[in-house]
Amino acid sequence: MTATIFGIRHHGPGSARSLRSALKTLQPDIVLIEGPPEANDLIACAESKEMKPPVALLVYDPENLQQAAYYPFAVYSPEWQAIQYALAAKIPVRFIDLPVGMRGELERSNSGADPLDWLSKAAGFGEGERYWEYLVEQRRNSSDLFAAILEAMTALRQELANEHDDNYDLIREAYMRQCLRQAESEGFQKSAVVCGAWHSPALVQPWPTPQDDAGKLKSLTKTKIQATWVPWTYGRLSTASGYGAGVESPGWYHHLWTHQTNVVIRWLTNVARLLRQEDIDASSASVIEAVRLAEALSAMRESPLPGLAELNEAVQTVLCFGDTAPMQLIHQRLIINDRLGQVPSDTPQVPLQQDLEKLIKKLRLKQEPIAKALELDLRNANDLDRSKLLHRLELLGIPWGTIQRTSSKGTFKEGWSICWQPEFAVKLIEAGVWGNSIEAAATAFAQQTALDAQDLPSLTGLLDRVLLASLGEAIPLLMLQLQAIAAITSDTLHFMNALPALANILRYGDVRQTDTSSVAIVVDGLITRLCIGLPHSCQSLDDDAAAEIFEAIQQTNGTIKLLQNPDQIDNWRQVLLQIANQSSIHGLVQGRCCRLLFDDGSLDTEATSKRLSLALSIGTEPTAGAAWAEGFLRGSGLLLLHSDGIWQVLDAWVAGLSQDSFVAVLPLLRRTFATFSSPERQQMGDKVARVPATIQYVTADTPNFNADQAHQALPIIAQLLGLTS
Amino acid sequence: MPPKTKAKTTAENPIEAKLAETVSTLRQNAEIQFAQELAELAQADQRQRPPNWQLSPWAVATYLLGGKLDNGFEVSPKYIGSRRLMEIAIATLATDRALLLYGVPGTAKSWVSEHLTAAVTGDSTLLIQGTAGTSEEAIRYGWNYALLLSAGPSMAAVVPSPMMNGMNDGKIVRVEELTRIPADVQDTLITVLSEKTLPIPEIGVAVQAQKGFNVIATANNRDKGVNELSSALKRRFNTVILPVPDSADEEVSIVHKRVESMGRALELPIEVPALEEIRRVVTIFRELRAGVTSDGKTKLKSPTGTMSTAEAISVVNSGMALAAHFGDGTLQAVDLAASIQGAVLKDPVQDAVVWKEYLETVVKGREGWQDIYRACRELL
Repeated sequence: MTATIFGIRHHGPGSARSLRSALKTLQPDIVLIEGPPEANDLIACAESKEMKPPVALLVYDPENLQQAAYYPFAVYSPEWQAIQYALAAKIPVRFIDLPVGMRGELERSNSGADPLDWLSKAAGFGEGERYWEYLVEQRRNSSDLFAAILEAMTALRQELANEHDDNYDLIREAYMRQCLRQAESEGFQKSAVVCGAWHSPALVQPWPTPQDDAGKLKSLTKTKIQATWVPWTYGRLSTASGYGAGVESPGWYHHLWTHQTNVVIRWLTNVARLLRQEDIDASSASVIEAVRLAEALSAMRESPLPGLAELNEAVQTVLCFGDTAPMQLIHQRLIINDRLGQVPSDTPQVPLQQDLEKLIKKLRLKQEPIAKALELDLRNANDLDRSKLLHRLELLGIPWGTIQRTSSKGTFKEGWSICWQPEFAVKLIEAGVWGNSIEAAATAFAQQTALDAQDLPSLTGLLDRVLLASLGEAIPLLMLQLQAIAAITSDTLHFMNALPALANILRYGDVRQTDTSSVAIVVDGLITRLCIGLPHSCQSLDDDAAAEIFEAIQQTNGTIKLLQNPDQIDNWRQVLLQIANQSSIHGLVQGRCCRLLFDDGSLDTEATSKRLSLALSIGTEPTAGAAWAEGFLRGSGLLLLHSDGIWQVLDAWVAGLSQDSFVAVLPLLRRTFATFSSPERQQMGDKVARVPATIQYVTADTPNFNADQAHQALPIIAQLLGLTS
Repeated sequence: MPPKTKAKTTAENPIEAKLAETVSTLRQNAEIQFAQELAELAQADQRQRPPNWQLSPWAVATYLLGGKLDNGFEVSPKYIGSRRLMEIAIATLATDRALLLYGVPGTAKSWVSEHLTAAVTGDSTLLIQGTAGTSEEAIRYGWNYALLLSAGPSMAAVVPSPMMNGMNDGKIVRVEELTRIPADVQDTLITVLSEKTLPIPEIGVAVQAQKGFNVIATANNRDKGVNELSSALKRRFNTVILPVPDSADEEVSIVHKRVESMGRALELPIEVPALEEIRRVVTIFRELRAGVTSDGKTKLKSPTGTMSTAEAISVVNSGMALAAHFGDGTLQAVDLAASIQGAVLKDPVQDAVVWKEYLETVVKGREGWQDIYRACRELL
C-alpha cells in the first residue's frame, strides 16, 4: 500500500483548498483522518443536506459528562473537505487518532510553544500564525505544497527531537500507524492520510516495528465513549474563546475560502456595507482608497497580497478616520463572524438532552405539549429541585415553565404553568455548546451573558435569575463584571437598584458556595460610589424623577441598615445630611432624608422641627413646602399614631406657629394628610384631643390668674362641651 | 520653525549653503540636522523610489524608526513607538493620498510630519501654520498689489503660497493645526487634494501639481469641536492617530528626561525627583486616561481632560517649583497634589466625581500611597 501523507493546519483555508485538489489528483481508495475513531459511524451524517458547518464532533463519556472533547469543523477545515471528498467519491473514510476513551490518564503535552513558532522565527516573521498564513493559507497554487511541509516538519522534528517529543504525541502517532497497518491489511492500495502537520513525519515509512507500536499502546485501558454532532459557532472556533487549536480570524478564513478572486476588494466592500448598516459613512471612493493603501502596505512589507493586518490598517486609516471603535464592530461581525452551524435532526442525542431526561425522570415531571399548572412548595427538596430546573432552562432560553401568581402568601410557594413545545428540542441542541449538563450549561451561559452585559440593570436582572436558578458558580464572575460595569456607570439610581439583591446575598448567604468576600468588595464599591454620586444626582429633579429617587433612597437606607457596617452607615448618614442641607433639591427627597436622619437619631426633635418649619415657612414655594412635608411624612400614618417621637416634632412645630402662618401652611399640610386613610386621620384627631401632654394647665393658684376673665369664658366653654342645652 | 531664508547663495549644493548659513540658529530643520543620515540612507537605498521621492518607502521608515544599514551606519530613531503606524503613514504618502496625523497634544505629530517631509522630499520648510486667522491667501496665493495695480493680473503679480510652491516643485506641504483654520478656509484644500490643481481664475490659468506633491496635516483630537473638518475634506485624508506612549516605563522615562532638561533651563535649586515619585504621577495619569487601573483589574471613569504626557511633565515641574521655593527642597506628595488636581479637574462637577471616586476606590487602598491620598483629600 502507498500512503500519501497530507500535513495540514486545522482550520486553514489554504490547506483545505490545496488538499482538495491534491485528493482529486491522487484518487485514493481510502481516506484516513486525524480524529476520534469513536465517531466513525457518524461521519456519514456529514453528507446530509441539513448539515451546515461550523459543527463539532462531541465525544463524551456517558458516565461522566464533564469528560468530553470537542472536534470543531469549519467548511474550510481540511478534515471537513477530506470527509466531503471521500463521501462524494463513495470511498471509505475513517478517523485514526488515539481513541478518546484510551486517553484517560495520559499526560497531555504542555510544552506551550507552538512548533510553528520556531519555523516562523527562523524565517524572520513574528508569531507562527502569520508565517503560516503567508506561506500556506494565502497561496493560490498548491503544487508540491504538502511535500514541502513534510520536509520542513521532518527537519524541525529532528532539530527539536529532545525538547518537543513528548510521550502523549508519540503514543498517538503509534496508534495512527497501527490504523494505517490495519488499512493495509484490509487490502487498500492507495490511502490518503490527513493529519496535523506536526505528526506528518511520524507517519511516513519506514515505520518502527508493529511490536514497538503495540508495546506503546499496551498499557492503555479503554472506556466506553459516545459521540455526536453539535452545532458550533465561529466565535467558539476563535482563539479568543480559549479553544487550543483555534484560529484568530474564522470569518476572514471563511472569506478566503468562499472567494477565489478579488479577495481584497470583496472584503473591503463587505466592510463598507457593514459600516453603512451601522450608519457610518463609507463611500465607494473610500473603498478604492482603502484598497490602494492595503496594496501599498503589502508592497512595502514585501508580501504578495494584502493580509488581514494590512486590510485592517487600511480600513482604520481610510474608512474609520483612524478611530478604533468601528474596528471592534468589524472584528466582531466580520473577522470573527457570528455564523452558527446546524446539524441534521436525526443526529444522536447530545449529553445535555440526556441530562435533562435524567432530571425529568428523577423529578417526576412530564414533557407534555399542553399547558399544565404546577404548584411548588420550596420547602420540599424535590419541589425545590424542580424550581431550579425550570429556572435554569428559562435562563438557557427554553421557557418550559412560566411563573404564575400564587394565591397563598409566603415566599415558599411558587406557581408555574408548564408546557413543552417541540422547538425546545432544537434549542436544547443549540444550548449544547454551553455544556453537557443543564447546570453547567446554564452556568456557562450566565457567565457569557454577564460578559456581554452593558449596563447595571441588565446585570442585576441576570443576578436575580442566577440566584433563582441557584447557580452559585456563576456568581464570582458576575461580581467581577458588576464591579467593572459599576466603575463606569454614572447613573446613581442603577447603583441603588443593584444594591438590595447583593446585600441579601451578603447578609443571609442564601446561595450555596457563594464567595461572599467577592460580594462584599462589590457592595462596598457600590456604596462608596453611590455615596459620592448621590448628592449630585439629587439635583434639579422633576416630580417623577424625585419620586424614583425617593424610593431608591428609602430602599438603600434599609439595605445599608441591614448590612450593619459602621463605616458605611456613617458614610450614608453624611450623605443624607448633605442632601438635607443642600438647597435646590426637590422637597420630596430632602424631606425624606431629614426623616431618615431623625429616625436614625442623628437629628433630635428640636433640630427636626426647626427644619420642618424652615421648609414650610413663608419664603418657600408652597409646592416645594408641600413636597417636603410629603417626603417627610409619606406612608407614616400609623407611625404617627404610635411613635411619639415624630408626633412630637409635628406637634412642637404646629404649636409654635402663629395663627396667620398656621392658616397659610394649612393647605400644604392638608395635601399630605389627605393621603392617609380616613380611619388613620380619625385616630389622629382623637390623639390630638386626648393627649394633654403639651397643654399647660392653668389653675386658680397660678399667679396673675384673673378670675373675672375666666368666668366670662365659662358659658362659651360649657356650650362647646355640650353642657348646656 | 524659522522662516525660510531668502538670501541668495552661490554654493552649488543648497543644503551645504544652508548649513553654512545656519550654524548659529537655535533649532535647525530636520534635513539639516540629520543631513548625514539622509545622505547615507540615500546611498544605501537600492529599492524603487516613488516619483520625485528622495528615498524609497523602506528607507523613509528606517530614517524614522532607526536601524543599522548594511555598511554599519547607525540611523538614530526619530519616533519611538509603533512601527506599523509609521508604515501606514508612509504607504499613504506613496499612494498620493493626503495624510492627517491626529492625536492628543504632545504625541509628536508635528515632529513626525517634519521628519517624514524631510526624508521624502529633503525639504521640510513648506509649512502653513493653521490659526484662527489663517486666510485663503496663505493656502492659495496672494497678490503683489503694486504690480497688480500697475500691470494688471499676471503670473508675475502672484505671490505664491507654500502650497503653490509645493505643487510646482512636486514636494510635500505641511499644514499644522488644521482644525484651528476656519471651516471656509479649510475647504480651499478640497480642490487641491482631489484634483491636484490650484486654479487662478483672475488670470485664467491653473497650477498643476507635479508628481511627488502631497499634504501632511496635523490636528488635535481634543479640538474636534473648534472647526471640525467637513466630511468632504475628511474623506480626502488618510487618518493616522498617534497614540500616547504604550508602556508605563516608556512614559516614565520620557517624563523624567523632559523634567530633567526643563529643570535645568528654569534653574530650579532642586534635585530631579526620584523615578519612584515620577512613576506615581505617571501611574495616576495613565490610569485615569485609560480608565482602568494599571493591574487591569478595576475599571475607572475618565476625566474630561486629556491627561497627556505633556501635562504629567508640567505637574512634576510645578511640584518641583513648589517644593524648591515654598517646601523643604524635596518633592513631597503635598507639592504634587495641587497640580495633579488642577490637571484632572477640568470640569468642576463631572471631574470632581471622577477624581473623588479614583481617590476613594484606588488611591486610598494602595500601599505606600497614603501621603498622596491625604494630601489630595485635604484639598477637596
